[in-house]
Amino acid sequence: MTRFERAGPEPSDSELVERGRSGDEVALGALVRRHQDMAFRIALSITRNEDVALDVVQDAFLKAFRALDGFRGDAAFRTWLGTIVGNEARGALRKAKRRRESALDEVGPVASDDKDVAQAIEIMDESSRARRMMQELPEKQRLSVSLRIEEGLSFREIGELIGSSEGAARVNYFHGIRRLRELMR
Amino acid sequence: MNQTECGAVRESIPDVVAGEASEAVVALVQAHVLECAECAEELELARALHASRATIPVDVSGAVLARLRREARVSTRPWWGVSAAAVAALALGIGITGGPTSDVVPDAGVEAVAEAEEEELWLSDDGVLAGAPVFEALSDEALADLLDELSMLQGGQA
Repeated sequence: MTRFERAGPEPSDSELVERGRSGDEVALGALVRRHQDMAFRIALSITRNEDVALDVVQDAFLKAFRALDGFRGDAAFRTWLGTIVGNEARGALRKAKRRRESALDEVGPVASDDKDVAQAIEIMDESSRARRMMQELPEKQRLSVSLRIEEGLSFREIGELIGSSEGAARVNYFHGIRRLRELMR
Repeated sequence: MNQTECGAVRESIPDVVAGEASEAVVALVQAHVLECAECAEELELARALHASRATIPVDVSGAVLARLRREARVSTRPWWGVSAAAVAALALGIGITGGPTSDVVPDAGVEAVAEAEEEELWLSDDGVLAGAPVFEALSDEALADLLDELSMLQGGQA
């Protein structure tokens, strides 16, 4: 490419998937870089732990790439990937829960200081506070709000991703938003 | 406030904060929130959430591709590579090889075994690789016998 030539348009996900199927690492790397933020947010939304979420993202991409031949393209790649991330994250949660249950026998419950938490929340700015409050929502509401506002997914896509109907995704989103507004007051 | 208009505005708020709504929709939402406190509150909330969305702290593309490459190498390894590599690794471990190992097992085979096992090493409670010889546990007499045996083996190979 000469220095005066302009780079072509970004290849679509479908093009990258097609190239990835034949082992094109550049295409697979591009898919990871394009979707890793979304994958991380979904994993974080479910696991609420950055380190676990990072592992989940890597495992999910690996699973997706191994199964690329089985991806027929009925759903968008990002929705399909999001579903895999969600499953991986729930699996990681289950594992962590089992570990915690066995560890609790030795350590006992960890006491939380509500006063400290309240003070910390007070000094957070509005955005951090909203994010903190998101953690109070049930998983499906939290995911619906996150996927609609942070990823710009349609309710149909959110429904596919969280395993519910488009209508249920819409209801989860609006319930989540209403609850968040109440919590923020 | 008109409920139908509130509904339409709230549906559009995520697209507005993501910068994906048309100019007409943005104008409609902006005009609406001037008169509707509830929708204004929802718009602010959506803006706050969108502005503070998390980003992945490290680019994982390199790590993902490295793991894929590793898997591909292991899965394309011939069956005889596994057993030969295992024998070579064992021989290396107890030091009875009589000559250069590259003639027996290609490096890639040994590397593949090591990589295949690195994720799930079968360790005993004290962290010793299961199946590996523990020379410290042998008495002087047993150690001397073992050395004799090894010397005979190497003598026979030479």
